[in-house]
Amino acid sequence: MTKVVLEMEGVTRDYAVGGVFSRRRNLQALRGVDLKVAKGETLGLVGESGCGKSTLSRMLLGIEEPSSGTVRIDGRPLGSFGRLDRARLIQSVYQDPYSSLNPRMTVSATIAAPLTVRGSGSAKDRRAKVREIAASVGLPEYLIDAYPGQLSGGQRQRVAIARALIAEPEVLICDEPTSALDVSVQSQILNLLNRLKREWGITMILISHDLSVIHHLADRMAVMYLGQIVEQGNASEVFERPRHPYTQALLRAVLPAKAGHGVPELGLAAEFPNPVDPPSGCAFHPRCPRADGGSCSSVAPAASGTGTHWYRCHHPLTEPTEIGT
Amino acid sequence: MSIPLLEICNLKVDIPLPNGMLHPVRRVDLELNRGETLAIVGESGCGKSLTALATMGLLPRSARPTVGRHVFDGMDLGTATDRQWRRLRGNRVSMIFQDPMTALDPCYTIGNQMCEILRQHRRISRRGARARSRDLLRRVGIPSPEDRLKQYPHQLSGGLRQRVVIAMALLCEPDLIIADEPTTALDVTIQAQILRLLKDLQEEMGVGLIIITHDLGVVAGIADRIMVMYGGEVVERGDCDQILSAPLHPYTEGLLQSLPRPGETRPGDDLGYIPGIVPRQTGLLDGCGFAGRCPYVMPVCTEAAVPMRDVAMSGDAPHEMRCVLEADATKRDPEKWKRLAEETE
Repeated sequence: MTKVVLEMEGVTRDYAVGGVFSRRRNLQALRGVDLKVAKGETLGLVGESGCGKSTLSRMLLGIEEPSSGTVRIDGRPLGSFGRLDRARLIQSVYQDPYSSLNPRMTVSATIAAPLTVRGSGSAKDRRAKVREIAASVGLPEYLIDAYPGQLSGGQRQRVAIARALIAEPEVLICDEPTSALDVSVQSQILNLLNRLKREWGITMILISHDLSVIHHLADRMAVMYLGQIVEQGNASEVFERPRHPYTQALLRAVLPAKAGHGVPELGLAAEFPNPVDPPSGCAFHPRCPRADGGSCSSVAPAASGTGTHWYRCHHPLTEPTEIGT
Repeated sequence: MSIPLLEICNLKVDIPLPNGMLHPVRRVDLELNRGETLAIVGESGCGKSLTALATMGLLPRSARPTVGRHVFDGMDLGTATDRQWRRLRGNRVSMIFQDPMTALDPCYTIGNQMCEILRQHRRISRRGARARSRDLLRRVGIPSPEDRLKQYPHQLSGGLRQRVVIAMALLCEPDLIIADEPTTALDVTIQAQILRLLKDLQEEMGVGLIIITHDLGVVAGIADRIMVMYGGEVVERGDCDQILSAPLHPYTEGLLQSLPRPGETRPGDDLGYIPGIVPRQTGLLDGCGFAGRCPYVMPVCTEAAVPMRDVAMSGDAPHEMRCVLEADATKRDPEKWKRLAEETE
């Protein structure tokens, strides 16, 4: 077993919402998340908006504290690290490179920022390091002193990736790294992440709603629904043999650019529930085509399929599902 | 052959800027029949949204459109007055925008906004308008429509809001609906439901649908015909299935190559991509707009404007492209994409 870099155990996060004109209510954004990420592995995290994936990534970055449960990096609780140390361990690439870069900082100043704030190395060393990393993310030399306004979307995203990697973090979080980019540029960024993964062995948490991106990059994947992980396992296994009906619906919702495909029927009832008022029992049961009145009114325990593949469902699927069918 | 519902010839949009004229849409021809779905595909800045806005007479004031012919159901719209446009929009032609939160007015209830459209275009009582609004909300799959009529947009989820926008577009039984990225702001599961709904409604009511998107999966799902735009021009046009399975224009070819295709591409494979960036459309270009990024570029490509030409095999559906290459993608050397990528890096 390779070394576990990141470990989450029973992590919950509550928010109080409302209060001015309405009754204050409790919103549980994360409801007991267990997650492990091994060194050098890419974990794909999928789920609809409101499922808690952003809360999870914000928690890893130290913007949020867990209400209960623990997050450990290299075996040490995340809370025991200082702010700067934590920033060295975990870095993030955000969705929109048009708002995640400071328009008044040059490319080199932006990329060097994680080093500058910690005062590591001389200015000359840092400059050398910036050039080195810019070259490895495919930023041309002449753009080093440019401002973000002079860059295309793809080049901006390369700057964001270089900035995240310069301090050699233990974990890189990529939150929808390609969805703000044009189609012809998206694949360049996917190729870059792929190469970094292969050559540098970076550990990555890849958050995306686009399952074809997850399929392409992730080694393992976790499917989230309403603050809980409902299925987790090797990406290839989950794609070929999803056990949770929600995972199956997500896989079916992928629209491949192939002739004569049509729009799939998902068999999902109703709408995504209000997270302030989650359904009792299995949170997915009001939308689930396989739900029954009895057992689904209790939360399904985590059941394991094969080895590392586990799911939370009373009526798991047994047939393989092909993506986009 | 029936008369097309919408016919636009030689549409051109100019936008004056302090440092010269921008030409975001050039030489665009468009034809749509009743009951047909046309997808306009392209990346940001290719002119697809402006083309749609021009079709609706909704271009920004700074834009200067010129059009050779703009006929909707026998009406000449090239010279239509504002008053004529107002009578048409929301009535016989309606539009579905990308972001349902900005398309709806946050200060009015759903019911108010829906009834206003009906009362504007039809002689109908308040009660009748309300009943029809309720029916349509039900038709687009919104549960308890009576309650929804009394709610404000912020009280609905994104998927419900987009359904409301679709119901509003259908209120006056239009002949033409233009949907600009109707599912981009939505989750994948909701996207599938909304697309299905659009497709079902279109088949049932026989409206002409123009869908604008950058997502080729959406196109494959619902379009009959595709029009691929690049740099303000139409570069390829034809039957949806045919173009997706055998693209002919190098740009379309590059776009399709750059998608991860589960089942076809293996995880971890390097994906193809189109090197370079979209050029700005200031000053009229000589030659093909894609020449700078094309792996098969030849001297002739940059010399003179490339005309649209018919490349359909006999017996096949119409298929046109704006390219001088031979209309047989199998005769091209795919290695050329890689070589071009290496050169640009």
